[in-house]
Amino acid sequence: MHALIIDDSRTMRSILKRIVHEIGFETTEAANGQEALDVLEAGLVPDLCLIDWNMPLMDGYTFVTRVRADERWRSMTLMMVTTESEHGQIVRALAAGAHEYVIKPFTADAIVEKLELLGLAVREVPA
Amino acid sequence: MTPGGTDGPDVISETNFGFVADLLRRETAMLCERGKEYLVEARLLPLARQAGDPDVDHYVDRLRRDAGERARAVDALTINETSWFRDLAPYQAFVDDVLPRLLAARVDTRRLTIWSAACSSGQEAYSLAMLLDEHLPAGWTARIHATDVSPTMVERVRAGRYSQVEMNRGMPATRLVKYFQRVGSEWEVQPQLRTMVTTQVMNLAAPLPPLPTFDVVLLRNVLIYFDHATKQSILDRVQATIAEDGFLMLGSTETTLDLETTWTRESAGPAGRVVLHRPRHGRAVSRPFPDSSSPAASPHLTLRTGA
Amino acid sequence: MIAIDEPTISDVHAVVEEVWTSFLGSDEPIQIGASTETTSLVDRLMLDDDTWTAAITVTGAWEAMILISVPVPAAGLITVGMLGLDPAEAETCGLEDLTDALGELVNIVGGGVKSLMPGPSALSLPLVAQGAITSTSNLEEVCAVDLTWHGHPIRVSIDVPRTTHGIGG
Ligand SMILES: C[S@@+](CC[C@H](N)C(=O)[O-])C[C@H]1O[C@@H](n2cnc3c(N)ncnc32)[C@H](O)[C@@H]1O
Repeated sequence: MHALIIDDSRTMRSILKRIVHEIGFETTEAANGQEALDVLEAGLVPDLCLIDWNMPLMDGYTFVTRVRADERWRSMTLMMVTTESEHGQIVRALAAGAHEYVIKPFTADAIVEKLELLGLAVREVPA
Repeated sequence: MTPGGTDGPDVISETNFGFVADLLRRETAMLCERGKEYLVEARLLPLARQAGDPDVDHYVDRLRRDAGERARAVDALTINETSWFRDLAPYQAFVDDVLPRLLAARVDTRRLTIWSAACSSGQEAYSLAMLLDEHLPAGWTARIHATDVSPTMVERVRAGRYSQVEMNRGMPATRLVKYFQRVGSEWEVQPQLRTMVTTQVMNLAAPLPPLPTFDVVLLRNVLIYFDHATKQSILDRVQATIAEDGFLMLGSTETTLDLETTWTRESAGPAGRVVLHRPRHGRAVSRPFPDSSSPAASPHLTLRTGA
Repeated sequence: MIAIDEPTISDVHAVVEEVWTSFLGSDEPIQIGASTETTSLVDRLMLDDDTWTAAITVTGAWEAMILISVPVPAAGLITVGMLGLDPAEAETCGLEDLTDALGELVNIVGGGVKSLMPGPSALSLPLVAQGAITSTSNLEEVCAVDLTWHGHPIRVSIDVPRTTHGIGG
């Protein structure tokens, strides 16, 4: 499985990368929505995009609407990971086509649990 | 503790650790074994500071004299790790297997009564409330009784408020926006769910107060902290509260021990990975389930985070 | 109706604590109150060049600037903590890593503080600088939380425009 991590902070990309590596994802990084679209146009179709909201050039919300408007990327799961926590903004992101939403700060468990909800991670059940 | 940090100079003395372990065991039946000194330190240090004691050892001396302080210490020492829709599969089994059968069995009363025993801060109870809100047919009512030995936890269930970090743990975004309202830095559960949930402080290791008959009991991730005899007596007491055709759901590492004589087990949920326990005297026809019980290790003995 | 222009100290502390335990672990909690004897002389003097400041502004229904000031050694610890590097690298971590980590830290703390106030409002991109960040506009400090982490003083403060902070409302 492959995750595209879209955040303008290298620190945040590194935090997310470590978490999804743990559960077997390969990763590609992009520093804003435009860079992420370029990566997709170049032919990468990740299973999952982790998307910040506030970024220069193209924000995460715009990225989600652009991706949702394109047939080629229907299969991708989109999860916002952002400090944006207003009720109305979460509703907007979901309406635009984001599948899940995580508000910063988060723990590694929270990301893994959300991916379980999305069927992208399976926790080992103790025998 | 980090040397040179702002914490107490050394770890709790052996005698004092023994005193705290005995206290915890007496009040909650929870076992607190050697090697958990750091946990006791970390939990009691803030209380010691509040009480004006220089370190945890002085604070334990205070505990020997002060019953009110002992209650606070016990409260702080319980492990309250929990999350929304914890482990997921049991909740799927609840919707796919348990609920349809109860809807058929309770057509007369159109009422379901559920117990979240050892509910911690209430994520389990409210997760069920959301599922019932979504799946109960019109005209039905449900009550979820949420109980815990810790008064602080029971108060939190009543308040129905959760931090951002707690909300992130397993809450689907669609349900977050549907059932919660932002209040300051926290999220508050909507009244429509809160009216379904009742609360009570209750020690499972002591004789139980009068309780209604439950259709489903969730006794999850709490038996792991008890010794064999305590587990057995709790399971007996809990069984007496379950309807003949009712269900018991345990944590994914927990079993009804070797008590085949009193419980039957059915597999349910995705890939049959969830175990439903039913009172042996129940009417339900059940398949035998291979016994896979082994001493349950606790994956949850970590410091309370985000609480 | 009383207009509330600033969050309470305890709310801000709760936000900061949540961010710290999520990304920097709970082994070494961030504690309220200025540091005492463990503070080095340099920390106490808080000389400009020995301090990093990260700031972010909120605009919209609530307007404010949120600042985090940390001494250089703490900035290094934050950077290695967030990037998952070896703590031994705390003193040698690159400038780019350090400004990025502090920028993300103030972004997340700022998002939390913003959520305490009535919306809608938006966050700017963060600004990180060595020394103090002084704003040219007409801001005044309305809330400051002094904290201690690893023996270092950490200060989180909130400035709002003078005009919206009138008396009487
Ligand atoms: C790890 S939490 C489990 C919460 C929830 N059932 C779940 O599965 O996520 C364990 C809870 O058991 C409670 N507890 C411990 N001893 C108890 C006792 N003797 N009676 C009732 N509750 C107890 C603790 O206070 C704590 O909230």
